[in-house]
Amino acid sequence: MAQTWMKAALIAAGVSLAIGGALEAANTIKIGVNQPLTGAVAASGNFVANGAKIAADEINAKGGIGGTRIELVIEDNKSNPTEAVAVAEKLIVRDKVPVMMGAWSSTYTLAVMPKLMEYKIPMLVETSSSDKITTSGNPYVFRISPTSGMEAAAFADKVGRLKIRKADFLVVNNDWGKGAADVFQKMLKDKGVVIGVVETMDAAAQDLNAQLSKIKGSDADTLFITTAVEQLTLALKQIYALRLKRQIITTGGSQNPDQLIEQAGAAANGTLHLTTFAPWFPGVSPNPEATKAFIAEWVKRGNKFAGLTEGFRGYDGIRTIAAAIAKAGKAEPEAIRTALWNTQLTGLNGKIAFTKAGPKGKESGQSIPDVYLIKIDNGKVALHLR
Amino acid sequence: MRRTLPYLWVGFLLSVPLWLHDQYFLHILITTGIFTITAMSLNLLLGFTGQLSLGHVAFFGVGAYTSALASLGFDVHIFGGFRIVHQPWPAVTGFAVGILVAGLCGYAIGKLSFKVREAYFVIVTISFAEVVRLVALNWVELTQGPLALNNIPPFTIGFPGLWEQTLWGKVPNYYAVLAVGAVAHILIRRLVLSRIGRAMVALKENEPLATSLGIDVTRFLVLAAVVSAGIAGAAGGLYAHYIRIIDPDIFLFIYTVTMVIMVVTGGKGTLAGPLVGGIIFGILPVMLRPMATPEAQWIIYGVFMILIVFFLPRGIVPAVQDWWQSKMGVTQAPVDGARTGGRL
Amino acid sequence: MDQLSQHIVNALMLGGTYALLGIGLTLIFGIMRVVNFTHGELYSFGGYMIFLFTSVLGLNFYAALIVALVLGILLGAVIELVLLRRLRGADIDTTMLVMIGCWMVLQNTEQMIWGGVAKAVVSPLPEEPLVLGSVSVAWLRVFVFVVAALLILATYALIHWTKLGKAMRATFQDRDTASLMGVNINAINTATFALGSGLASAAGALLGPVYLVTPTMGNLAALKAFAIVILGGLGNIQGATVGGFILAFAEEMGAGYISSGYRDAMGFLMIIVVLLFKPTGLFARAERIG
Repeated sequence: MAQTWMKAALIAAGVSLAIGGALEAANTIKIGVNQPLTGAVAASGNFVANGAKIAADEINAKGGIGGTRIELVIEDNKSNPTEAVAVAEKLIVRDKVPVMMGAWSSTYTLAVMPKLMEYKIPMLVETSSSDKITTSGNPYVFRISPTSGMEAAAFADKVGRLKIRKADFLVVNNDWGKGAADVFQKMLKDKGVVIGVVETMDAAAQDLNAQLSKIKGSDADTLFITTAVEQLTLALKQIYALRLKRQIITTGGSQNPDQLIEQAGAAANGTLHLTTFAPWFPGVSPNPEATKAFIAEWVKRGNKFAGLTEGFRGYDGIRTIAAAIAKAGKAEPEAIRTALWNTQLTGLNGKIAFTKAGPKGKESGQSIPDVYLIKIDNGKVALHLR
Repeated sequence: MRRTLPYLWVGFLLSVPLWLHDQYFLHILITTGIFTITAMSLNLLLGFTGQLSLGHVAFFGVGAYTSALASLGFDVHIFGGFRIVHQPWPAVTGFAVGILVAGLCGYAIGKLSFKVREAYFVIVTISFAEVVRLVALNWVELTQGPLALNNIPPFTIGFPGLWEQTLWGKVPNYYAVLAVGAVAHILIRRLVLSRIGRAMVALKENEPLATSLGIDVTRFLVLAAVVSAGIAGAAGGLYAHYIRIIDPDIFLFIYTVTMVIMVVTGGKGTLAGPLVGGIIFGILPVMLRPMATPEAQWIIYGVFMILIVFFLPRGIVPAVQDWWQSKMGVTQAPVDGARTGGRL
Repeated sequence: MDQLSQHIVNALMLGGTYALLGIGLTLIFGIMRVVNFTHGELYSFGGYMIFLFTSVLGLNFYAALIVALVLGILLGAVIELVLLRRLRGADIDTTMLVMIGCWMVLQNTEQMIWGGVAKAVVSPLPEEPLVLGSVSVAWLRVFVFVVAALLILATYALIHWTKLGKAMRATFQDRDTASLMGVNINAINTATFALGSGLASAAGALLGPVYLVTPTMGNLAALKAFAIVILGGLGNIQGATVGGFILAFAEEMGAGYISSGYRDAMGFLMIIVVLLFKPTGLFARAERIG
């Protein structure tokens, strides 16, 4: 019996090597994609990956880059920082990708960053918003998403108009949530707002009643929440059940407002969200035609409309990488890194161009996208206080 | 043949980096090696003492976290204004401290195994691992919680001033894993082949009898638990300083299950079992990867484990040995105690 | 004070489902001596069934709950017939290994079918919460509590007043004698495992709409069920019921007044302490059922 298994294992090994060989024979430019496809924040990661696929197909339909097709190698980091590092290692060492996109959460991105230095591979950061990513002196990082600091700055002029006097925070206990809480508190204090309770939650926590009961004891008028859409849905439902009457503002751009409307219903009504893409109003995008085309393709592929606010980042990310490879003229890490500094294109949420951020001599690249404040009103999304 | 086989095997393992230059396969071999070491340590409890400890990953994780924290340093507030500040130690010192702390946890579990039995013991060990995970997740000031402990330094070996070598890259780490694995194997072998160990193994199924024959069950069980936990802690240290990032998910039950599968399929209570099991389940996922998604693989492993328990309850190694013996015409009937004894 | 009464209400609502989970597991252990690692998977199975029948197939929510319960019973029966029946007389460790294998198969099958993205189930209950003075609670939670309580009572009734229940109790007390007296042990085992699994599936179907349905939702639920069962004493149904509420209170108060991060640790700390000082559980007279 054991012998039969040995044989089976050997055959399996042979077949796998043969398949691997066949794939490698085709000449393509590989781009690594490191996203959470399972686990606590899987919804977002899958949307980003789907957006990336649309970009890749679009580029390949036009003949690829200089006649060579691009191939996305999408790997699952399981919503876990150590897995994100393992994925990066695998993409670099095994698939030999010259450039990567990832890794959604700030914590996963920060975990991967030492690997970029070790192997000298550039990575485009599509979602993460912790300020630390571009200030730690890693010259292989190029970010197209806004930092929490940029979100806070964009929000600053609305503090007075929203009549915020005292604010509580409920944030996920990772680099993203804590980073956002820090910069928003600083901005609010500068505006004379009092800070009340700051509560954290584990990304996988589903029962937030204890935190919310504490917040209910505070006399603040506004509650800032930073977390991914799954947990946000639960938080809104539980806030509603507790009759916690607050002005609710979410940050980070991972709220998928339509998903909130569908799944949280009345609990989502009246909530405000800072987002970087407004697919309900393609007209406000700097590139309305491209935006409409992307939305049409997204829906045609059977993706949920709600996922567009995540998916566009994957789309823009891959287009940026492709533009850099085209500019570099070759799919080599160092050439792509240099080319990224000179790459400019119109993304779906603003001009993408990298400015220098972080310590001198080893700056990271940071693009400056648009930030919108939207409001969910009677189950509809509206731009708020433009 | 039987005498030379182990040496051939060691020679083969030593030669791997000389002809295998693929970095990814070396990486797989290193992680496989680390998990094989944990499987060996679990086997000491599961196979040789019959204690189904399903919180084994706790020792691995405690070793990893202790070693990482000792070599990274920390600054923690305890109650009131009291603070503990720890300056970074060399990674190798951290590694030793990790083994020590894991061993202490093993001591506690070993003692516990006399108070609570069977199902209760299993659930207590699982709970222990879960509590440690939750502490790692929530004591953010010490462990960084979900932010993960990052930039853990690699090992530096040698004598300061004379010769020093930092274990960057795959090949040095491969040899480090091999060295720790060899030490662990020798330790376990000596323990189970000792007089008390042999008696314990032989009488595993019948503890009252063992006690009545004057075998100091307590001492052996606790010693086995300490050694087992210490080895798992050493594997954790290797892991932390090789991967250079750890997070609380290192304590997940699924890792214990992985070790259990390695031990049970290889053959619990045999010295070679966890090695065979570890290598199969370390390499197989890589082989199967192009054909089966991770979920499909786990389904296959689950079915595999059920089949093994039903049809080869002693595992692959004893089955192969029996087959080999019947083929060679060796008539000596396998005696339980001797089975573990004379073979690698 | 307001905060305290809110915590108490939250704990009560949660305790009902915890008790439901605990009873199923304790029954299985008490009668069959099986440490059931698939319990959590039956829980997530229930969650996915309510999602499948309401959100995908558009069945009425309440009907879907019943379907989830029935399918849970069937799945439990299948596991018993295919795997556990062959293991009668095997030692507890062997059974445990098989159940771990089965756990892996079930969980990963779920992940393969449904993907890793969490599913949300929308319930038809009013969104406006029930308000009692300073305390408010979602109607869905109230509904979940009531259904859980009814299922617990039904289980009690089944064990105390039916012939099957009598046979189960007899088997629990003395398997061999029961067998000699003409009790069909195989049938009792199947019925017990099916019943316990059905209760777990019902708990999952009830909590699915409250939280989110994910492939790994059963892991923590199973660990908590173990904690409850140990608190109450293995095989003790009343103990499991009380244990469920104790765990819910410990978690809610711990999270509210100590640290929300250690919410899930409360149960495990409790069982470690209980086992160290009173290894047979808080409510153990002798181990008994009913």
